[in-house]
Amino acid sequence: MFESIASFIVGVSAIFLAYYLAAVGHGLMEKSGVLNLAIDGVFTLGVAIAFAVSVYTFSVPLATFIAMIVAALFGLMLAFITTKLPISHGAAGLSTMFLGYGLAALVGLPARQLQINGRSLATIQPSLGGTWIWFYVVAFVVAIGIWYLVEKTKIGAAIRAAGENPASAEALGVNVLAVRLFASGVGYALIGIGAAVFELAYTQVWSQGAGMGYGWIAFAISLSAGRHPILILISAMIFAALDKYRFLIAATYNLPPDVGKMLPFVAAIAAMIIFMVTPLKRKLAPPKSLGKIYFREERTV
Amino acid sequence: MVIVRRVKPLPYWIIPIIALLAGIAISVIILYVLMGASPAAVLSAIVYGFTRPGVVAKTFVALTIVGIALLVSFKGSIWNIGGEGQITFGLMAATWVALFTALPYINPGLAQVSMILLAMVAGGIWALLAALPRAYLGLDEVPVTLIMNYIAYYIVDILVRGPWLGKHVYNYIRTDTIPAQVMFPQVPGTTMTWDGLFLLIILFVGVWYLLRNTSIGLRIRILGNNPNLLRSSGISVPLMIIVALTISGFIAGSVGALYLGGDVYRISYPVEAHTANYGYTGILVAWLSMLELIAVPIAAYIVSALYTAGIQYQILVGGHLGQLLTAGSAIVDVFIGSILLMYTILITISEYKIKIIVKR
Amino acid sequence: MAAEANNAKPTFLSPPQEGKKPIVSLRGITKRFPGVIALDHIDLDIYPGTVHALLGENGAGKSTLVKVLYGIYTPDEGEIIINGRPTRLTSPADAINMGIVMVSQSPQIIDTLTVAENIILGLEKYNHFVPVTKVYKTIREESKRVGIKIDPGIEVWRLSYTQKQLVEILRAILLGAKVLLLDEAITYLPIEEKQRFYKFIRRFADEGGTVVLITHKIYEAMDVADKITVLRRGKVAGHLDRKEATIEKIRALMFGERSAEITYERLPTAQPEPKTILEVKDLWVMGDFGGYAVQGVSLEVKKGEVLGIAGVAGNGQKELIQAIMRLRPVMKGRIIYNGEDITRKTTYYLRVNGVGYIPDLPAKYGVSIENSIIENIAVLPVYSRGIINWDKIRELTLKLIKEFEIKTPSPDTPVKFLSGGNIMKVLVARELTVATNLLVAYNPTRALDEATAIKVRKIIKEKVLKNKVSAIIASEDLDEIFQISDRIAVMNSGKIVGVFPADKAKREEIEHLMVM
Repeated sequence: MFESIASFIVGVSAIFLAYYLAAVGHGLMEKSGVLNLAIDGVFTLGVAIAFAVSVYTFSVPLATFIAMIVAALFGLMLAFITTKLPISHGAAGLSTMFLGYGLAALVGLPARQLQINGRSLATIQPSLGGTWIWFYVVAFVVAIGIWYLVEKTKIGAAIRAAGENPASAEALGVNVLAVRLFASGVGYALIGIGAAVFELAYTQVWSQGAGMGYGWIAFAISLSAGRHPILILISAMIFAALDKYRFLIAATYNLPPDVGKMLPFVAAIAAMIIFMVTPLKRKLAPPKSLGKIYFREERTV
Repeated sequence: MVIVRRVKPLPYWIIPIIALLAGIAISVIILYVLMGASPAAVLSAIVYGFTRPGVVAKTFVALTIVGIALLVSFKGSIWNIGGEGQITFGLMAATWVALFTALPYINPGLAQVSMILLAMVAGGIWALLAALPRAYLGLDEVPVTLIMNYIAYYIVDILVRGPWLGKHVYNYIRTDTIPAQVMFPQVPGTTMTWDGLFLLIILFVGVWYLLRNTSIGLRIRILGNNPNLLRSSGISVPLMIIVALTISGFIAGSVGALYLGGDVYRISYPVEAHTANYGYTGILVAWLSMLELIAVPIAAYIVSALYTAGIQYQILVGGHLGQLLTAGSAIVDVFIGSILLMYTILITISEYKIKIIVKR
Repeated sequence: MAAEANNAKPTFLSPPQEGKKPIVSLRGITKRFPGVIALDHIDLDIYPGTVHALLGENGAGKSTLVKVLYGIYTPDEGEIIINGRPTRLTSPADAINMGIVMVSQSPQIIDTLTVAENIILGLEKYNHFVPVTKVYKTIREESKRVGIKIDPGIEVWRLSYTQKQLVEILRAILLGAKVLLLDEAITYLPIEEKQRFYKFIRRFADEGGTVVLITHKIYEAMDVADKITVLRRGKVAGHLDRKEATIEKIRALMFGERSAEITYERLPTAQPEPKTILEVKDLWVMGDFGGYAVQGVSLEVKKGEVLGIAGVAGNGQKELIQAIMRLRPVMKGRIIYNGEDITRKTTYYLRVNGVGYIPDLPAKYGVSIENSIIENIAVLPVYSRGIINWDKIRELTLKLIKEFEIKTPSPDTPVKFLSGGNIMKVLVARELTVATNLLVAYNPTRALDEATAIKVRKIIKEKVLKNKVSAIIASEDLDEIFQISDRIAVMNSGKIVGVFPADKAKREEIEHLMVM
């Protein structure tokens, strides 16, 4: 089906890394209890920013960096308002999503105009000079790093505590706001880098709406792996392959290509149900207070 | 910084108005900074949007119905983010009636009613599928309904690319256009259809009656406040969750039929790129209404006026960027995003006040 | 700072300083919530080396006061002075830094985390990125010294309630607590465990620590406290030294002018008829955490009698009551109501066939406080099927408001605007109206102040007598059981260990059976 295993591994490396980073960032943020419905909007914005900065400065590192910083700022904002104010995480996330979509178009269009007039875009080619190897190395290092951070360290315990029961966590001495800012800031920084990789290493083109929907795929990838940094490696790989070889698979097995697009979402729901009804629940079910309003000054009757 | 519950809440209508003004102000700033758009031009587009009821009507009808649909489940604290998928399923069912049955040629009136009813049933079934794991496994409905939107899109995409691909479509991937008999007649001087108007009135009165005078309505409202009371009263909580979400999807589904019969007349591939996003925008309407049924049409009017304003701005003053913008959605998104975000944040001050505590 | 204290000292804490300066002083602390002043200008001095009890009935403001001391609530007015310095506490982390640690009635430690993870969260000497295993050694050493056996790597959900409370204490010690706030932390422990905690508290205070013991049980305060402060309606009713404190004095302070109304004498005994209304045969029911909570219970309730079920919390009463109400599956055995086997029937069936139900924590399980009184009544399936006849329900509501003297501006007022006693009356009124045959209740007056609780008991008993209704009432409050029951069944470890006619039952014997 593929020319060789090697070309497959090189071929999916960029989209795999993009998915992985966005999904693991999403998982890290949600582990701390902040429901993340803004991911698709901010991912789309990250794509546009990476594109625009790359056009303006012709620098891949700078484009990635700015996309990361802007995304991280959104993460900090979401963590702050949902922790400090008694407001709905869903509402905050969805409104940020809309804002992200709108800003993405406004940021990307002027650069697109320049590009049409002849400016070129700095990109990064996974197949050149073994870059793809580094893509995998980054994914694995991040996977082990985040896993160690969440499962083994003090701040990891604090993140999980904030996600399970923020009121108790606070009583145990955790600064829930600080912990959520950390998890969401780092999480969204990863989402921002993922968006930049998506634009500069995978699609390498931009038009209005570029990246839309891919944030949700990352969301589904994260949920289908129970937000676990190591397991996400597997689900990101599967869905990266599905995206990259969608048309090839469809042609080979005579399936509509949309089946491939649908699969991550079906898998996410199936996995959520499995995690809910099996003993995997202890490790992979969503944090108990995910998306619940955490508000200290409430009187408990 | 400490937040304390107010001893006396502010009147509930103040916040939406402040949020609206603050959101518009932020949008104006964003558009100015990123596009160099003159605030005066943006504001005049907004004035245009608010003063053209005839132009706004189509969006208004759709958003009011979605707002009512979401209100039913939101009242029960069931956060239906799946309006989009339920509408898409409604669109699919209505298309089936219009293109693949003989009904339009036998009895156009009945065909139109069937399109709407079947769309509602399809929307209801799609919502029911999300309701079951929520009710019996406690699976959070927010990610489930959201993810199911995408599954719905792709199911319809598969149909449109496959068995439903039209015969008279040149090289486009889309269905055939529905027969003229089932294109919903327009109310003169407006963009809305008679079918939509009647449906809106029926649903509004029906939901008002449901919530006020029936045991189902009462139980949905109590479900939202304290499901434990239902349990100890002997009423099945899972069943009420299913009822609330299914009714919500049932009503939302009808918008799929309106979209087909009064707006697009066919499904184009990929459906996710051709949706009006009513399912998401409807969430804004439901929230802005503060879950008061009477306020839903008002919120819907405001949102549809802004929607129109975004498009109007692009037509009038988009300039060189306007040509690149598709359907003005970017500006609409900025409006909707900033108003909703402001609203979400400001809603706290109606019930809470913020105290700054200085550490010594 | 907490860590240093913990490093250097072989004993719990440094010995108390002479001259007796208060370690914590409160001046004019005031805290308002919508509709209530929870704390009204509280002044209080707490000295090192003492066990200081804060006594008060439900709603007196004890819990609010502790939460202020632990930085969970910030006071609207007033000053907290710690070690002579005015201090702002805006989070528990602040309080912990000042050496104040709280252990509350419901364990705060988090179930999905290990013991060590829970403990390390508050220890400032460890930076954020250290592995949790770093703290294992310290935990093992300290737990051995205090005499608690605990594996630092175990997940908390595997521990029992007592073990969890022990972990909380261990945590407080490791945090270098100088002031230990015990918010009803031992109230719900079994007697033997309580004794162990008393010893520990004593030793902690003798070594210079300070304990603030928050309780609504007069006996508990008398058992260990050196000083007692009584709160009433958000104000300090009085300070007492242990030596001068007597039960009568404390009662007078706790209940004020109403203390005369507070009598625990038995309400009139019913004359039951021979007909059996409820029969439970060899019932087995699972608890929340696996294992059988109810183990082969059999009992009988005659027409027109009140069967009280006495027992320490967590001995299966809750599960028994829920199984009878069909809110919890029955694994084995049968429940017969009015001659009919209801083991496989639903709650709905009972609710439309003359069974009233007052659940534990009524405000949480029995009413919806956001809804109006009339809606809270209409929700019952006997009143609303299909289309609701609001006129009829309004009429009924008005009748109940009058009959039960519910103080409310109107039947359309949301229940949350009523006082605790009136909320309870709404619930009791509704349930007594539908209980044409049987009333099932669990801790029916737990959240009420004493005077109101006694009034509610009277209302229930009067109804039972007048209408020949049967009742099964489980309660953790032995006073309540004695006051309202005609027969008393004692429940211990999921079994009924004795049944007595209430007028002949001896309190000591029942207490003994409860904890045996």
